[in-house]
Amino acid sequence: MIRARIRKRLPRFELDIDLEADGCTSVLWGESGSGKTTILECVAGLVRPDSGEIRLEDRLVFSSEKGIDLPPRSRGVGYVFQDYELFPHLTAEENVALAMPRSERHRARDYLERFGIGGLARRKPALLSGGERQRLALARALAVEPRLLLLDESFSALDRSTRQEMYAEFLSLRESLGMSVILVTHNRSEAELLGHRIFELREGSLAEEAR
Amino acid sequence: MRSLGPILLSLRVAAVATAISLVLGLLLARLMTTRRLPCKFVLEGLILLPMVFPPTITGYLLLLLLGKRGPIGQLLGMMGTKIVFTWGAAVVASAVVSLPLMYQNCKAALLGVDGRLEDAARTLGLGERRIFRRITLPLALPGVLAGIALSFARAIGEFGATLMIAGNIPGRTQTLPLALYSAVEGGRAAEANLYLAVTTVLAFAVVAVVGLAESRSRPARRGGSVDTAASPRGRGGRR
Repeated sequence: MIRARIRKRLPRFELDIDLEADGCTSVLWGESGSGKTTILECVAGLVRPDSGEIRLEDRLVFSSEKGIDLPPRSRGVGYVFQDYELFPHLTAEENVALAMPRSERHRARDYLERFGIGGLARRKPALLSGGERQRLALARALAVEPRLLLLDESFSALDRSTRQEMYAEFLSLRESLGMSVILVTHNRSEAELLGHRIFELREGSLAEEAR
Repeated sequence: MRSLGPILLSLRVAAVATAISLVLGLLLARLMTTRRLPCKFVLEGLILLPMVFPPTITGYLLLLLLGKRGPIGQLLGMMGTKIVFTWGAAVVASAVVSLPLMYQNCKAALLGVDGRLEDAARTLGLGERRIFRRITLPLALPGVLAGIALSFARAIGEFGATLMIAGNIPGRTQTLPLALYSAVEGGRAAEANLYLAVTTVLAFAVVAVVGLAESRSRPARRGGSVDTAASPRGRGGRR
C-alpha cells in the first residue's frame, strides 16, 4: 500500500498530487514532461519533494512536517528505470547479486531463472537484447524484495514485437507479485492494457479515470 | 653502474609520489564532485596552483613550509626528524606537482559516470561507500588509470621543485632529470644519452597506458545496446 501527497515546484508548473494505491497496478499516464518520473523519484527517495508525506505500508518514509526523509536504500522500493540502468561492468548475475545481502547471493541465479534468462547469467548487459535487458532489470528490482515496484516507461525502449511479448509477461507477473505497482507511461493503450487503475497527470495534477 | 642510481631513485620517488597523489587526488575529486563546499573554488585553486606555478616557485614555497624554520619543518624538528634534502623531499615535490594532473583526471572520470547508475544502486539498497567502490570507481577506472600514468610521467620529469627542496646530492637525492643536467654540465655525453633513452622508453610506456585507458573507456559504459534509446540524464545525487 502506498499513500503519497507530493508537492514539488518544477520548472514549468507545480506538481501537486495525492495518490493512494493498494495491491494493484496503478498507471500514471501523461504527456512527456508532465512530471510522471518526478513522482516515482520522490516515492523512491531519489528526489526530495518540497512538502508532503509518503507512506509505504505502515511506514512513513517522507514527511516534510515531521522532518522524516528516509534514504532510497531504506525505503524498500524496487525501481525499473526507463533505460534500465544496468551496471555495464557487471554480469547479469552480478547485477542481481549486488542487490542482495552476502548470505543470499547464491539465489541471484534463481531470480534470473524466474525471468527466463538463467542461461545468460555470465553475460554483460551490452550483450543482451532489449527484452532480456528488461527481464534483467525486473529481476534485479525484485531481488531487493520490495514492498512497492516502480516502472518508469519500462516498455518504451522495446521494439513492437518484443513489447507485446513483455506486456504478456508483465500481466502474468502482475498477478503473482502480490504487491503494489506504479507504472509510468505516455502510451495510452499501454496504460489501458496494464493498469488496474489509471491516473492521468496533467500540468502537475493527478486525476483518476473511471474504468 | 653509477648511472643506474638516479634511474632507480627516480622510479622509487615517482612510484611513491604517484601513490600519494592518487589517494589525495581521488579523495579530493570525490569530495569536490559530491559535496557542496562553501569555498570550493579556493580549494580547487590551491590544488591546481602547482600546475600554473613555475616549478622553482612551488619548490620555494615547499621550502618555506618544510624548511627548518617553516611550520611543518619545525614540527618535524620537534619529532627529531627533517625532510628537506632527503629523498622524501623529492617525493613531496613530485607529489605536489603531479597532484593537479591526477585530480583533474579523477574529477573528469568521476563526473563521466552516469549518475542514474548510482541512483539505481541507491534503490537497490547500497550505501554511498559501496556505490563508490562497486559502481563509480570501476566505471571511472580508465580515466583514473590515465591520471596515474600522466602523474607518474610528471613525477619522473620533476626538476625545479625537487632541486629547491631536495637538492642535487648524488646517491641521495639526485633523480634522473637532475643527473641528466649534471651529466650534460660535466660533459659526460654517454651518461646523458643513457638517461635520454630511459626517459624516452618511460614516456612511450606512459603514452601506451593512456592510449589503452582511453580505448577501454570508449565502449558503451552504460550497457546500452542497439535497441535501447539511451538518454543520459547527467549525474544523479540530486538529494
